[in-house]
Amino acid sequence: MTTSAHTTISNIKTNLQVFLISVATITVAFSILGLFLVVFVNLNSFLTTWSKQVQLIVYLKDDISQNQRQGLEQLISANSDVESMTFIPRETAWANFKNTFSSNKSDFIDDLTFNPLPSSYNLKFKPSNDRFIKIHRFADLLKGRKGVESLEYGEKWLGAFEKFMLFIRIFLLAVGGLLTLGLILIISNTIKLSFYSRQEEIELMLLIGATPNFIRVPFMMEGMLQGLLGGIFALALIKFLQLYVKIQFQGSLESIARGMEFQFISQPFIFGLLASSVLIGWVGSFISIRQFLSPAHKK
Amino acid sequence: MIQLFNVRKSYGGVAPALLDITFSVKKGEFIFLTGPSGAGKTTLLKILYRTEKYDRGQVLVHGMNIGKIPDRKLYTLRREIGFVFQDYKLLAKKSVFENVAFAQEVIGADKKRIRFKTWEALKNVGLTHKKDSYPPELSGGEQQRVAIARALVNSPKIILADEPTGNLDPEISLEILKLFEHAKKRGVTVVFATHDQEMIRSRKHRVVVIKRGKLVAP
Ligand SMILES: Nc1ncnc2c1ncn2[C@@H]1O[C@H](COP(=O)(O)OP(=O)(O)OP(=O)(O)O)[C@@H](O)[C@H]1O
Ligand SMILES: [Mg+2]
Repeated sequence: MTTSAHTTISNIKTNLQVFLISVATITVAFSILGLFLVVFVNLNSFLTTWSKQVQLIVYLKDDISQNQRQGLEQLISANSDVESMTFIPRETAWANFKNTFSSNKSDFIDDLTFNPLPSSYNLKFKPSNDRFIKIHRFADLLKGRKGVESLEYGEKWLGAFEKFMLFIRIFLLAVGGLLTLGLILIISNTIKLSFYSRQEEIELMLLIGATPNFIRVPFMMEGMLQGLLGGIFALALIKFLQLYVKIQFQGSLESIARGMEFQFISQPFIFGLLASSVLIGWVGSFISIRQFLSPAHKK
Repeated sequence: MIQLFNVRKSYGGVAPALLDITFSVKKGEFIFLTGPSGAGKTTLLKILYRTEKYDRGQVLVHGMNIGKIPDRKLYTLRREIGFVFQDYKLLAKKSVFENVAFAQEVIGADKKRIRFKTWEALKNVGLTHKKDSYPPELSGGEQQRVAIARALVNSPKIILADEPTGNLDPEISLEILKLFEHAKKRGVTVVFATHDQEMIRSRKHRVVVIKRGKLVAP
């Protein structure tokens, strides 16, 4: 084992430039993949935060009758997709509104002597894939009811956004697959060069009684080390970028969606990335070593 | 220790390189393998070491039917044999000491043992003073002795030497021959391929002669 480590280190030293270029390439490839992941993760959490806020607001006419209200409430509670219903009287709405903008000290609001806001029902819907269609349908149903002033179910674009996320997921998978393939080729090529520079020695080793594993192990370690280093550098790079973005933009993000934070890819992702980098290194070196140690290669 | 039965080998040319070779070498025996250039001496040694395959016949080395050893197990055969290559096969980037130690490293010996065995092997060939030199800095005879030290360092049971005294002057040749005879005294089986008729006549060892791939009476 220690001899193998020695051989690995001396192999790397002999072809240091090739090794470093390979590590750099792996770093770049993993960074691209990782950045996609970060964007994906952040978009996803952004989407989740927003989705929680998705609700159907039913504004009521000021002159709505008690009967009409009861009819509406019955209709709403009959809908099994509705998770919760909150009635917000116009006074509460007005108080909330004033609270929100009190810091602005807008003279305009203070000057208003009457309440311009209607009462409303805020309906939350149970999370499901076709939630947006359901909301849309229910809104259509309510539209014609007497006593309903107007309906608001903002963020229609969220529905399209969810489809877009699905597309991104597939896209990530494809990019990941292609990059993995490319990385395997790069590593197997580096190992091949490493092998060529030691060909004389390796042939002699086979001649004087080395086991195939004894010859194989240092090159496998070299390949895995390349992958691992590439993975670690890529993670560091992503982390660095993420910190930068956070410092620069966290403030403006706060104002868009309260409580949201830029996220770094999670721990399982980190371990997954490192594990796959090592695995890619293993596969890459395995391929080229197989070529060398197969009987067909020897004259 | 070594047994060949009707071994035939053809490289695809008109005449086969070896034709129905049958002979055996006993444990601890020293034999000269001789014959004119192109007779098939190297081919025969390569077959015993399984760097070349044979077409027909049976070869037993140290109880192993070597035709049946799969490639990935070849090291088991090669660890029993010290092979002195005609072209030395020393690594130019390693020092004399490292070259000899390499044979020990390759079989996974521990550090202490490597140092001890390597030193001993270099002492046997009288090259301890050159241990830090590199092969290109050595004379042909010295390189040859490094190659022999490497073949002996793992204490093999068999030594196959392919013209280990080729191109060397008679005095050095004799010294080298004595190294192998010394190994024989320790019970090692030695097959020594050589052209040198004078050397063969001066020593009392069995002689196996091949001509154009066939065994002939000496
Ligand atoms: N790799 C090869 N491919 C084709 N023919 C070969 C090969 N190696 C040897 N031969 C042929 O086999 C025959 C025996 O060659 P070999 O090298 O065994 O002879 P040798 O007795 O060792 O000769 P020398 O004393 O010159 O070393 C020769 O005719 C040679 O041309
Ligand atoms: Mg020869």
